[in-house]
Amino acid sequence: MTGENVFRSSNLLIKKDSFFKFIDALRSEHRVFGPVKERNYVAFREISSSTDLFMEYQTTMLSPGKMFIYKPREDILKFRMEAPVSIEEITPTIEKQVIVGIHPCDINAILYLDRTFLGVFPDPFYKARRESTILIGLNCMQVSGNCFCSSVGAGPFLKAQAGYDMILTDFGEDYLVEIKSSKASELFTIKGKEAGPDEWRVKSEKEETVLKSFKKVIDIDGLDDLFMKNLDHPVWTTTADEKCLSCSNCVMVCPTCFCYDIVDETSMDLKGVRRIRQLDACQDLRFAEVHAGNFRLRRASRLRQFVIHNLNYTNQYGVIKTVGCGRCITWCPTKIDLTEMAKEIQGSPIR
Amino acid sequence: MKTPLLPLRAVITGIQRETEDVRTYSLSLEDSLYSAKPGQFNMVGYPGIGEAPISLSSIVSKGRFQHTIRAVGRVTKFIERFKEGDDLYLRGPYGSCWPLEDATGKDILLVAGGVGVAPLRPVVQEILRRRDSFEKVTLIYGSRSPDNMLFLSEIDMYRKDIEVFLTVDEVPPHMKWDYDVGLVTQLLDKAMLNPIKTFAFICGPEIMMLFISRGLFMRGFLPSRVYVSLERRMKCGIAQCGHCQHGSKFVCKDGPVFLYRDVSRLPDGLL
Repeated sequence: MTGENVFRSSNLLIKKDSFFKFIDALRSEHRVFGPVKERNYVAFREISSSTDLFMEYQTTMLSPGKMFIYKPREDILKFRMEAPVSIEEITPTIEKQVIVGIHPCDINAILYLDRTFLGVFPDPFYKARRESTILIGLNCMQVSGNCFCSSVGAGPFLKAQAGYDMILTDFGEDYLVEIKSSKASELFTIKGKEAGPDEWRVKSEKEETVLKSFKKVIDIDGLDDLFMKNLDHPVWTTTADEKCLSCSNCVMVCPTCFCYDIVDETSMDLKGVRRIRQLDACQDLRFAEVHAGNFRLRRASRLRQFVIHNLNYTNQYGVIKTVGCGRCITWCPTKIDLTEMAKEIQGSPIR
Repeated sequence: MKTPLLPLRAVITGIQRETEDVRTYSLSLEDSLYSAKPGQFNMVGYPGIGEAPISLSSIVSKGRFQHTIRAVGRVTKFIERFKEGDDLYLRGPYGSCWPLEDATGKDILLVAGGVGVAPLRPVVQEILRRRDSFEKVTLIYGSRSPDNMLFLSEIDMYRKDIEVFLTVDEVPPHMKWDYDVGLVTQLLDKAMLNPIKTFAFICGPEIMMLFISRGLFMRGFLPSRVYVSLERRMKCGIAQCGHCQHGSKFVCKDGPVFLYRDVSRLPDGLL
């Protein structure tokens, strides 16, 4: 074990008041983001006080990982168009930040994005933000109709033991605070009652209760093989033809969809070029186009790519891509549901 | 930490016209430590225009190598206007290579279709550099018509070291053509191959690679020795942008050179 990983593991019952004071104290050196209630929805926003937080939220349209760590759009290089062209590297700005109240699905989504951006070719922008971000998770008690995290192991309570800093469980007057990193262990100096067998029992009872409230369930066992045998299943074409608009909403709200485009923008005086990375979507007609043709010309094949990538292809990173947050279902304008498509294949496989 | 998307400046030291829309660009990098293996590619482009994945069409020597580029897209059409002395901006090399080490001491069959001959050219160059390391080497190369064939005079010179079979789909009237006419698959029998001890490296349109691979398996080639090189849209080359995903694979990182059996029957491919 390296020094970085050695920390005093502690699990404390902390009065919510004290916890929010801790959050307010963090604001002196960090930007703090968390769930904020707007008129009729909740979104992750920068907060100016812990009183802005709405910790009892169900879900948000956008996941914090794809807002504050993997940015939807950012400059990666600048060119001055002299002879020869001079290339200006952009140094990632390091701003210490805290994201509080992230549900387990969205923490797992960040752990998934890590596999793309901290792999063989680490991305300096992602890496800098990831390392300067403190993640404070919140075990989920608010299952919405489209949530299926319990079916894919991504929630409602967090099972991952590393890769984030703290995880909270709502104990009424208190939070059960579990410290999961040395950074958190140094910052969190509030004294509280050490969690004992009683607290762990209560926690697992709470988890049991939440687990019972899931309406959407999918059996992912054997799906990999089943999809590969059913690439020509009518569900792909009928759903694509009758419902899919190729609008890419599903990809944009997906917390694990990592695909990006690189575009060059030339300044008005033609002397400068900005190379920009921005989110791209496999639902876009040109996404898989090459000179000789388009590998996913058909809408059905693009829809199938999204569904299979999310529910299959676990051998890409060794984990399933979907975290079961259900956003692609919620925000699909025609209510396409990838779990229903999978179930249709499970119910009547062609092979 | 530098972004892996940072390109390097490469000077064009020579341009060879191959066909109407194909040019071979000789390039020189300041970084003389740059090295690449046959089958790998660079992201080649120019600021303000963009980048495209292009295989190296030669082996690398002291920071010098070649790209053979067909002008068909935004980036490649822009590059077509370049002259000797101009700069390109590229990064790489990326991806897997043809398994020449595994093929040492064995026979090698190279099958190329159209501009697919370009990523196989460094293989031939490497074989010629150490010809004794390999047994029988055969190149089968097909194209649409004689004026679409690349490297013809160079390929003529290969003949003293390796066996060469050329074919075209059709010969326009009044055009001279001394070789075969018809599909590359028809040449598989003419080439007198030894299926058990031959490695096959195939590069060309996916439909051609499908029929060549099938043809080879029917003739007793081992699935563990038939390789193809795939083309996909790519923006990053480093397994992030997602455009080249083929099944669960990233063609840029896990490929472009794959065992045929690892990429056959995947969704949205022809293999």
